[in-house]
Amino acid sequence: MWYKRDLKSVSKEQAAFLNRLRKRKNAVLGIQWLLLIGFFLLWESAALLGWIDPFIFSQPSRMFHAGVQMLKDGSLWTHIGTTLGETVAGFLLGTVLGTLTAVLLWWNRFISEVAEPYLVVLNSLPKTALAPIIIVWLGNNQTSIIAVALLTSVIVTVMSVLNGFLQVDAEKIKLIQIFGGTKAQVLTKVVFPANIPCILNALKINVGLSFVGVIVGEFLVAQSGLGFLIVYGSQIFKLDWVMLSVMILAIMAALMYEGIAFLEKKCLKWQQ
Amino acid sequence: MRPIVSLDDVSLRYHSIGGETLAVSHLSLSVPSGEFLSIVGPSGCGKSSLLSMLAGLITPSKGNISVNGEIGYMLQKDYLLEWRTIRSNALLGLEIQNKLTPKNTAYVEALLDQYGLGDFKDHYPYQLSGGMRQRVALIRTLAVRPDILLLDEPFSALDYQTRLSVADEIGTIIRKEGKTAILVSHDISEAISLADRVVVLSSRPASVKKIYDIKLSIEQYSPMKAREAPEFREYFNAIWKELDVHVV
Repeated sequence: MWYKRDLKSVSKEQAAFLNRLRKRKNAVLGIQWLLLIGFFLLWESAALLGWIDPFIFSQPSRMFHAGVQMLKDGSLWTHIGTTLGETVAGFLLGTVLGTLTAVLLWWNRFISEVAEPYLVVLNSLPKTALAPIIIVWLGNNQTSIIAVALLTSVIVTVMSVLNGFLQVDAEKIKLIQIFGGTKAQVLTKVVFPANIPCILNALKINVGLSFVGVIVGEFLVAQSGLGFLIVYGSQIFKLDWVMLSVMILAIMAALMYEGIAFLEKKCLKWQQ
Repeated sequence: MRPIVSLDDVSLRYHSIGGETLAVSHLSLSVPSGEFLSIVGPSGCGKSSLLSMLAGLITPSKGNISVNGEIGYMLQKDYLLEWRTIRSNALLGLEIQNKLTPKNTAYVEALLDQYGLGDFKDHYPYQLSGGMRQRVALIRTLAVRPDILLLDEPFSALDYQTRLSVADEIGTIIRKEGKTAILVSHDISEAISLADRVVVLSSRPASVKKIYDIKLSIEQYSPMKAREAPEFREYFNAIWKELDVHVV
């Protein structure tokens, strides 16, 4: 990376330029940390000084104690594991099924023309509205939660991946046909590999969407998971649990996003 | 000798919502083996349709086309697949035709070495210059050992200087490999400098307007040297007039 490079080998002006860039980068990073730490400090002091009522606003130290407590009895790991498992299942299924459907629609333009208005409507429909129906159909269980998560991400995946498929340069398809390639080869040699960035991008978006589906699902049926903890905690006024769960959700979302960004970098080394 | 490619009274009609278009009308042409033929014509006259028909991508509405050999097709741009290395791009055609034998792979490796890409086999396309990319595209075409090369303005995406040297290089390679070639171009100089014969097409619907046998008095032929021949200008002027370009 440029900001780690040795400055001795470059001219004075270039060194000054790089120094300015480095300073700016450090300033951005420093303020980002400051804001985060400041937020928690302000929250803690506000609770200590009685500006807010920690019973309904909670406070960082209480969240910390609640967390330690739940780590000791192991329940926190159960909740995290449940939500994580459901979310991962949701976005993987959503991405895989969405991509397969996009392949089908690409393969058969007639079907895709027929399906188009339905896809458009389903895409704008808030999928969480379907959650109660899914639960009635599939029962009060984890399958329902995963199904809701899947539902939130699958349609948007179909639409964005199909769009990517259709935007592949016609001349590249011609290239395959010139060599006598079949439609299956057009798909496997050009259309699909050209859209791996698009599919990874869908995966990234689906992480967020899948979380929405899982949390809504857990609100409705779960006996464990962070969504359950949030609802249960708010019902018995254990706001420490609620706030802690939200914090953990934020951290999980960030980690998963980073994970996929890492995967993206690994897969796309051919990009400039 | 039987011509390697012949078109006999070929016509082509396109259908679209807007109506039907006659793109090619009663076109006859034959190409002997080993010849380099250039086709020039006003833009939009149906030159590319002609190549697509020869490659078997579209069927003519009327008439017969006979092609006695394997076709290789070079498109207007290199269309290297960005996610494949240079080697893997060069092997694409063989891969599609299920011909990845050790012998064929070795042939591609040899072509890459021979034409200055030996050190770039594991590079990705974005790391290569326009001229080098075009050479990879040619090797990808040659890899399946075609008898006839169809070139659809293969240099048009390059800047002028690169274009001159790439045309020179590729023209030389094609002659060295002893291939029959059909080049479609809107660049008259390029067409003359590469070809044994130049076919001038009429504006749409395309048919053969005139054919020029290119005979240049130069010692050792190369596309670049051809441009210095005294006859070059005469051919250029004659074809220019034939094309009847009106600048409005």
